[in-house]
Amino acid sequence: MCGIAGVIDGRMEPVARESAVRRMIDRQRHRGPDDAGLVSSASVTLGLCRLAIFDPANGHQPMATPDGRHHLVFNGAIYNHQALRAELEAKGHSFRTHCDTEVLLAAYAEWGAACLPRLRGMFAFAVWDAQERSLFIARDPLGIKPLYYAQLPEDTFVFASELNALFASGLVHREIDPVAVGDYLAWFAVPAPRTIYRGIANLPPGHTIKVNAIGRCEVSPWWHLPDSSAELRASSSGLSASRSYQDFVRELRSKLDDTIRAHRVADVPVGAFLSGGLDSTAIVGLMSAAGAGRLKTFSLIFNEAEFSEQSPARLAAQTFGTDHHEEVLTGRQVAEDLPRILASFDQPTGDGINTYYVSRAAHAGGVKVALSGLGGDELFGGYPSFNDMPQIARYIPYWRQLPQTLRHGIVRQLRKRGARARKLADMLEFARDLNELCSLRRRVLSESVRLPLLASDARRLAVRQGPNHPMLDDFVFELLGADPAQIVSAWEMRTYMADVLLRDSDVFSMANSLELRVPFVDRVLVEWWWNQPQEFRYHRHRAKAALADAVADLVPESIRTRRKQGFGLPFPVWMQAELKPFLEETFSTASLGACPWLDTTAVQNEWRDFAHGRDPRNWTRVWTLAVLIAFANRPSRE
Amino acid sequence: MKTLLLAPELFRAEGGIARILRSYLKALCEVAGEGDSVHYLALNDDAPAASKANRFTNGRNGEHVGCSRSKLGFIRHSFRLGWDSHRVICGHLHQLPVAWLVSLFRPRMEYHLIAHGIEVWRPYGWLERKALRGARRILCVSEYTRRQVLRFHPGLDRAKVVVVPNTFDAEFSTPTGKMSGAGSRAGPRILVVSRLTQADAYKGIDTMIEAMPVVLRQLPSAQLRIVGGGDDLVRLQQLVGALGLDGVVHLTGIVGDKALRAEYAGCDIFALPSRKEGFGLVYLEAMSYGKPCLAARAGGAPEVVNSEVGALVEYGNTDQIAVAVADLVRHLRAPAAMLNRAKEFSYPAFMRRLATALQE
Repeated sequence: MCGIAGVIDGRMEPVARESAVRRMIDRQRHRGPDDAGLVSSASVTLGLCRLAIFDPANGHQPMATPDGRHHLVFNGAIYNHQALRAELEAKGHSFRTHCDTEVLLAAYAEWGAACLPRLRGMFAFAVWDAQERSLFIARDPLGIKPLYYAQLPEDTFVFASELNALFASGLVHREIDPVAVGDYLAWFAVPAPRTIYRGIANLPPGHTIKVNAIGRCEVSPWWHLPDSSAELRASSSGLSASRSYQDFVRELRSKLDDTIRAHRVADVPVGAFLSGGLDSTAIVGLMSAAGAGRLKTFSLIFNEAEFSEQSPARLAAQTFGTDHHEEVLTGRQVAEDLPRILASFDQPTGDGINTYYVSRAAHAGGVKVALSGLGGDELFGGYPSFNDMPQIARYIPYWRQLPQTLRHGIVRQLRKRGARARKLADMLEFARDLNELCSLRRRVLSESVRLPLLASDARRLAVRQGPNHPMLDDFVFELLGADPAQIVSAWEMRTYMADVLLRDSDVFSMANSLELRVPFVDRVLVEWWWNQPQEFRYHRHRAKAALADAVADLVPESIRTRRKQGFGLPFPVWMQAELKPFLEETFSTASLGACPWLDTTAVQNEWRDFAHGRDPRNWTRVWTLAVLIAFANRPSRE
Repeated sequence: MKTLLLAPELFRAEGGIARILRSYLKALCEVAGEGDSVHYLALNDDAPAASKANRFTNGRNGEHVGCSRSKLGFIRHSFRLGWDSHRVICGHLHQLPVAWLVSLFRPRMEYHLIAHGIEVWRPYGWLERKALRGARRILCVSEYTRRQVLRFHPGLDRAKVVVVPNTFDAEFSTPTGKMSGAGSRAGPRILVVSRLTQADAYKGIDTMIEAMPVVLRQLPSAQLRIVGGGDDLVRLQQLVGALGLDGVVHLTGIVGDKALRAEYAGCDIFALPSRKEGFGLVYLEAMSYGKPCLAARAGGAPEVVNSEVGALVEYGNTDQIAVAVADLVRHLRAPAAMLNRAKEFSYPAFMRRLATALQE
């Protein structure tokens, strides 16, 4: 795992360009403390810092092909690098290291962009082609590894693994984008392709960029979820549908074993996060069954019992005989660490602090790679949305037949009630089909709450962008012919998982120099799963039934049948106690002075309602705002 | 074979749908064989104006009826003309249920729909769904529109929803000689041509204006000319004033045909970063003058505009607009690239595609 960066600018002095890239690499050194490197040519400089996982003694980057044509910087891990190596050796390539980097470079030299569907892993990489004088950048299909870039007016193109690194280059101006502020309040994080900053883009998952020597870039998708229309499914030969539920479960187990096998490959110690929920317990169980030796597992526990998964995590650890570490987290500790945590933020996020602490515990516990159950809910149907959204969608056509005045009256009444009713009001007003329901369902603030919190200019921009997710069209077209469970699953994967969970996991695990791997977010597994019959994949009354059945011999029944809890933190409690001084300062008029895109009065009213106990269930809204305000006020390191 | 073309209007107005339906009329007449006839019925047209129609028809054309906005009259004539027609082409979704009704009595008659843009990007009513299911072909102006049709009617047979990209208005002649531009030239000139109505606010004219302060940082003498009129003009004028862009942004109002051609000839870039273009004929018109185009990566526009002939930006992203304008001004695209791109959507190509789609 690494941090990568680069600049294309033919008019800059090479020394100045190299210096800019060096600063970018230094700024993200936590991503790769083991090694660093830089390569330059007439108009481009690429750099990298490395966390060595495969063949730590070798694999220095940037790496070049023997003929000097292609230069690679690569952040991630290619799990099938050994199989690819054999294939490439048969084609005449020879290798100097045992690194996945060298295999990726040879694969690109051999197949060009067509190498991407052959890769199994997580990646964001850039290859400079000295012959064509062009840069090729690609990001993994589901968005595990990040890539940010800016196309600047003076024919300059700059990219990095982290936003903070881009600013360290001195080429990019730091200015918060009022449109992105509106997006953040709606979605808990700024959805790709925007970022919180003006003029800087987030390359969406499964996309590539081709950049020419004058910095002009073309972005295009390289991977889609499989087309699941009936006629195509019938004609597909490679991914056959299972015939009975028993066959399906047996095959699922074999696919799970396969993904665990792939994700365990490393030349350094591998551990796992263990919350005690089905997903993480299944991961640990499968790892143990695969003969991982005595695994190190990590979990967070709290003094507030209702938030802690201590017992199930301990039960799981005992069942599999792991070397289990529990990190006791208190509100006081979080309050003390908040400045450091905020400094590691690339963009504001309403989530993710749990990942920061469990990653820190894993790093302190001596592992360099940890596996996580992230993605299980999105793929296997762990959220209530898998039930709710298709049901509501069935009634949408009838609802839209009602007279407009009646509909408006009902929506108005719902908007006067609580958060759930307001979200329903948004759905009833704006949603026309299941896709738009799913889009609106993931909003953290409904439209009637979000708009008044924005200052007039930002509000006008938010109204212009509309209430739906900015990638709505792209996702909808990817899902033509998909069944309802696939549509819900895809929306969960493409929005909350990609923009919040995976992004936070990358930032906070890398902040602790830990490589986090997510075996459920695996292209091979997802493509197989997508082709299975809906009645097997999804059970209305049993969340994640297929996963539970596939690991029934490993995971204790009490965990398989337990209601979802996850890695939740006791924020509602801490915000009224240890975190209150931070919040009071954050919501002060002075602090809000740095946020011209927010309506100061409306925002302070939100805080007061929560602080005085008038709206205690509103902690998510208050925390989301607090993070944004604190983010805008944090001192700049450049 | 007797073909009937149903249209909201053909000769009464100059809207995008009327223009493309005139191209359909011309193409249907030209692909008609010996003994075939093409009849056409327009809801909003007044009495037939032969002088206008002659430019789009040949000896194959039959009866031309204008219904002067009478819906009852339209339905009556649809039954009368459709009764012995072999094929009915509906120029708008609203007319599809009428064709479906006729087909209930004349089951051997086949009917088709031309799907343009936002009128089909929405959920369909019961009758529309039924009528869509019965259509032999749904001719979509872009892949984007095709996908929207399939999105809101997932049960439709995918094979019968086909793309027939729009073409120039058959009467739109591309410039033959060197044309002089409109107004005085001070610096790079960006041209917008659009309706400026509140209902069309999605066309992104305001985002173009908002991008100008950033554009000026790179190109201090850049000018933005906005051609068109409508009830959104006042808001746009206020926006220009609020941003201090008087003298930089010129709202010309509606201009005549000659002046419009001069605007196209005199600009450096054509821009319409719209969110909901079903296809975007205006980009083709600009390309026929050898002008590069700036469009939003939304709707059907990316099927016409690519990096060879222009730039695509995210809708509403003023920073990206500014970078794209600077790139298009600094790195001129060869006019031949735009002309060649426009030729891909020429009338003969359209006629061939339409003939193939109707015969399959």
